[in-house]
Amino acid sequence: MRRFRGFGSLITLVVVAAVALAYTLTAGNKPLLGLDLQGGVSVVLKPKQEVDNSTIDQAISIIRQRIDAIGVAEPEITRQGNNILIQIPGVKDKDRALDLVGQTAEMQFRPVLANIPVDPTATTTTTSSPPSTEGDPTASTTTTVASTTTTAALVGGLPAGVCQTGLDAAQINKEGTATLPQCKAGNLVASYSVGPTALTGSALDTARANLGDRGWVVAPVFKGGNEGIGAFNAIAAQCFAKSPTCPTGQLAIVLDGRVLSAPVIQQASFEADRIEISGDFAERDAKDLATALKYGALPVEFEQQQAQIVSATLGRDALHAGLVAGLVGLIAVTIYMVAFYRVLGMLAILKLGIEGALLWALISWLGTNNGLALTLAGITGIIVSIGVSLDSNVVYYEHLKEDILKGRSIRSATDHSFVSAFSTIVKADVASLIGAALLWWLTVGPVRGFAFYLALSTALDLLTSWAYMRPVVRLATRSRLVHSSALLGLPPEKVAEVRARRSREVEEVSG
Amino acid sequence: MSWLGRLNRGETQIDFLKWWRRSLILSAALVVISVLSLFVRGLDLGIDFEGGVSYEVAAPGVSTEEARTALETVGEGSAKIQIVGTDTLRVQGPESTPEQTIEVRRTLAQLADTDPSNVSVSSVGASWGGDITRSAIRALVFFFIAILIYLTIRLELRMAIAAIVAVVHDVLISVGVYSVFQFEVTPATVIAFLTILGYSIYDTIVVDDKIKENQGLVGLSGQMTYAQMTSLSMNQVLLRSINTTVTSMIPVISLLVVGAEIMGAVTLEEFAVALTVGLGVGAYSSIFVAAPVLVFLKERQPKFRAIRERLQSQGVSIDRAAVPATTSGESAPVDGTTASAPRTATGVIPPRPRKKTRRR
Repeated sequence: MRRFRGFGSLITLVVVAAVALAYTLTAGNKPLLGLDLQGGVSVVLKPKQEVDNSTIDQAISIIRQRIDAIGVAEPEITRQGNNILIQIPGVKDKDRALDLVGQTAEMQFRPVLANIPVDPTATTTTTSSPPSTEGDPTASTTTTVASTTTTAALVGGLPAGVCQTGLDAAQINKEGTATLPQCKAGNLVASYSVGPTALTGSALDTARANLGDRGWVVAPVFKGGNEGIGAFNAIAAQCFAKSPTCPTGQLAIVLDGRVLSAPVIQQASFEADRIEISGDFAERDAKDLATALKYGALPVEFEQQQAQIVSATLGRDALHAGLVAGLVGLIAVTIYMVAFYRVLGMLAILKLGIEGALLWALISWLGTNNGLALTLAGITGIIVSIGVSLDSNVVYYEHLKEDILKGRSIRSATDHSFVSAFSTIVKADVASLIGAALLWWLTVGPVRGFAFYLALSTALDLLTSWAYMRPVVRLATRSRLVHSSALLGLPPEKVAEVRARRSREVEEVSG
Repeated sequence: MSWLGRLNRGETQIDFLKWWRRSLILSAALVVISVLSLFVRGLDLGIDFEGGVSYEVAAPGVSTEEARTALETVGEGSAKIQIVGTDTLRVQGPESTPEQTIEVRRTLAQLADTDPSNVSVSSVGASWGGDITRSAIRALVFFFIAILIYLTIRLELRMAIAAIVAVVHDVLISVGVYSVFQFEVTPATVIAFLTILGYSIYDTIVVDDKIKENQGLVGLSGQMTYAQMTSLSMNQVLLRSINTTVTSMIPVISLLVVGAEIMGAVTLEEFAVALTVGLGVGAYSSIFVAAPVLVFLKERQPKFRAIRERLQSQGVSIDRAAVPATTSGESAPVDGTTASAPRTATGVIPPRPRKKTRRR
């Protein structure tokens, strides 16, 4: 059964390709079109100052909240080093989107005028007594109000979806009173009526989350002087005294219009580095609050490195032109290959078909599940890879012809030349893969998309060269399809002539 | 049989030794021109590298003069205004405030009789292009190192060096073309150039693999210098090189002609021009740069120098492509069309004995 060696891999490949294509079509997976093909907004933000990882992450989550507020389907926010790449495909109000993501988030400390229960029956307020930290008996503490709540339809003038949509600057009303939400995992857990901003995050120096005797606490450290701890003590005194400006005794910590925590102030005056916020903190919550406070101390100011607004029309035109150009190129290349290699040329085009099916399935799957978008650079990469795939066939077929002219039968040449040809193909493809991998790791933006698709199609070429080209050419040369070298573009009488001449010469040389 | 037929059978007798002398001079001249042009004229860097704002809108029938008149009212009269593709109006100006950007978009939308949302805007800070360039150059350096190591392992050091020389040559000349003709360099151009690296290497590997296969001939028969053997190998893989280049070029040219020129997709044009230039240069350099550089390196190895000296002392011509012993003396026609083709250089190679152990 030598004739069918490698037949298993052929069937497997064809079945896999067919199943993948069928799955893609039935599951309705479609490639996710990149911004440059469907229109939208893309921004690269670069922090103006040196920042650490957690601060950038905090900034990203703030940006994400804001984009969600516009109600966009699939925003993509990625970090590239310290830069943040934001891609918002298909957004309607592009100017507003651009404006929103670039704004710097501010932290505000505002006295709480009233607690507005979200659901009157579910709201409980627990106030724990000040814990004394071991080895640090002078530590002063404030205590949080921990509320366990469920979401309600409309509370204190806040719409139910406020945690998704957020509030605008007028609603946040920095210098006046406002009603602000406290959110957890996208749900409204409490809302507060708050007074004018008493101090901003710039009064903070840093913050830490510590594990104390009574669980996790957050320790903010204020800057010295009137702008720092002085300003904090001024409002703390009012809250401790429950004066009309702070009747509840609570001070809300607000970031980007959302209340993070509203601890009850337990003393009239604090030392800058002896403050603790305690409550029913899980480790995660305490650390999140500390990170937010740190961010508040030094909010990241961004510089727009690059912003792109792509109109949907131009994007569609580019996609259309790319597809038509690819199709025309494919037809032209088919004519060339068939003219040159006859039946084998046809087989090479079928190889493109298999690769195309697998590529379409992969791109659709990645687009649907991983949000990997197909950009114009990617389409170019794929069109270029038509050449890469056919190169492998050319290398093999030329080797085949050479072997036949050297005196081998078509059948024996088929097996013999595949070994050397495949070795060349592997060398060349691996070189391409190395290039693509380096591009992927070392570059940014559109170059990465291009590198990804080039690598993907090169890998597919390696696979199909082995699992498709070898068995299918073997089958063809062993069947009646390619019974004569004429079907390879070599007239039999020429082959005979060349062989005869060469054997004569060999005799002369050796004789 | 025609020249095409012999090409089809790998029996051409192009004297590459002769051509290499010319091609190396040509390449050296082109590299010098490219480098000089880079210093004198520089590159026409797009806003992605210099910072600024670029607007694009499909505006059939709007002339650049009309656009300039309209833009003067919003203080962008000095912007660079072009019609790109078939009917896309492109305006490039310096960095501006968001308010100004919105103004310009509205003006352009009015001009093109469309909605402002159909105007594409790309604004770039000045440092962005620097970041792109730096990362691309870093990728380039790592690429050279990785390929050098890889080819040294898979082929040999000298072939790796020759391949890298050819690639550097490709990059210099491609960038040179952009400098001489002052084509605009965009991120798409950078991507295209990086692709070409991979391509150029692909072609060179195909050629080198054949040379390596033939390498034994030099020591075996002692009838050829390394240079002659390489020239012979080139003739054998010529069709392979031509066909791999043609099959790669067809889709890219389709991208340029159909996608960019006929359908007017601007971004495609940026890709396609660079790819076409680079593919052409890459195909040329595999045959006319990588191979002679390899020969130059190899002929310095004692083993191959000895063969050359021995052949020289025997009075055998080593200045042109190898001709079989039986026909030495008569010059082999380079493009003869006689049906009874003279015994060819390929003829001296005995058919390879079948391998005893069959490989799967």
